[in-house]
Amino acid sequence: MIEKPEKRTTAMDCGFISCHDCGKLISAKEIPEGFQPACPRCSADIHARKPHSLSRTWALIITSAILFLPANLLPIMRVDFLGSQEYSTIMDGIIYFFHENEYGIGLIIFTASVLVPLFKIIGMTIILLSIQFKWKSWLRHKTAMFHFIEFIGRWSMLDIFVIALMSTLVKFGTFTSTQAAPAASYFTAVVLCTMFAALTFDSRLLWDTESSNP
Amino acid sequence: MSDTPPLIACHACDLLLEKPDVATGQKLFCPRCKSQLYQKKTDSVNKVLAISFSGLLLYIPAVFAPLLTLNAAGMNQDGSIFDAFLSFYQQKYYFVAITLFLTSIFFPLFKLSLLLSITIQIKLRLYSRSLPFLFRAANSLDEWGMPDVYLIAIFVTIIKISSMASIHYNLGFICFLFLTMMTRATTSALDPEIFWQEIDRMKKYSTKTAAND
Repeated sequence: MIEKPEKRTTAMDCGFISCHDCGKLISAKEIPEGFQPACPRCSADIHARKPHSLSRTWALIITSAILFLPANLLPIMRVDFLGSQEYSTIMDGIIYFFHENEYGIGLIIFTASVLVPLFKIIGMTIILLSIQFKWKSWLRHKTAMFHFIEFIGRWSMLDIFVIALMSTLVKFGTFTSTQAAPAASYFTAVVLCTMFAALTFDSRLLWDTESSNP
Repeated sequence: MSDTPPLIACHACDLLLEKPDVATGQKLFCPRCKSQLYQKKTDSVNKVLAISFSGLLLYIPAVFAPLLTLNAAGMNQDGSIFDAFLSFYQQKYYFVAITLFLTSIFFPLFKLSLLLSITIQIKLRLYSRSLPFLFRAANSLDEWGMPDVYLIAIFVTIIKISSMASIHYNLGFICFLFLTMMTRATTSALDPEIFWQEIDRMKKYSTKTAAND
């Protein structure tokens, strides 16, 4: 039947498809032709590789790169203090913390709101380019980087949660109050796009470049 | 279904390998791409049942009870997780409000109640056709619940406003802290492989008894 797997044999080479949702290995022979195959264990649609992975991920990464600009250039928060209105961008908020000598918090917000989205966009671009141009080096590092991008995706929402809490708690009539500003929508969109990009991306495509030409 | 050989494929690089026996506490890594493939956990179903139940008990006060009370200029102001969602809604940032609602209110509840109902169904051997679908949903929507990120945001907010107002911690804060711990604990106690095996076994048994009837 099936020989002992040799080194560097992929499931796809041997006619297997692993279910992306539950990890069950399904023999492609068991799948009747002309049907969208479903996993017998979890009934998810199965594909040897995620469908249209590259184009979907490119689209989402380019979208998030474009939205990243208004998210950082437009104000994200408005503070009213005794009748005067002050708008601040993400960077303004971070600089404020450094002025107040709150370096720890400043660094946390800088990491979550600026570094992480930037890292996700640049990292995914490197990974996508290396698939497009079939670069075969550093595959292990790129895979690790992708797992890291998957993991940190959610943490960019931090600043949005802080603004939500600030605008709820800091509400002292005409004395002082805090409101959200337009960049909040753009920033949320950046986070969602990068999270979806990590979902549509299939890291197995990185390794397919290795086995394509021996 | 023929007898499938004990093979697994790496989810990250598709390398086909023979499934080795993994002892409890050990982790299995892919020899080619070094991604973590599997970590065996003990007593997963019981643990998830207990933790998701206690998490659900905390849910309502965690989301609806006030987290903090601020006192400044002789005025008091408090707010809950739900109020934070409402404030974005009232400011007409509907897109952000919906995201906030899903990530901080809906998905934590969704995850805990799904896991509770799945573990109860496994314990009582009540197979329904929706069971595989429910467990798949619980797994794939896991990352969209973000109470842990929210908790850090609460700490950042506390530091931000500590200079301008005095802060009192309320019931909601304690409950949300423990709710976050419970949702994290369900993730670390959950062994999807054990759950899938149980679900598979129940499915086979239910089809067998149906054929006998």
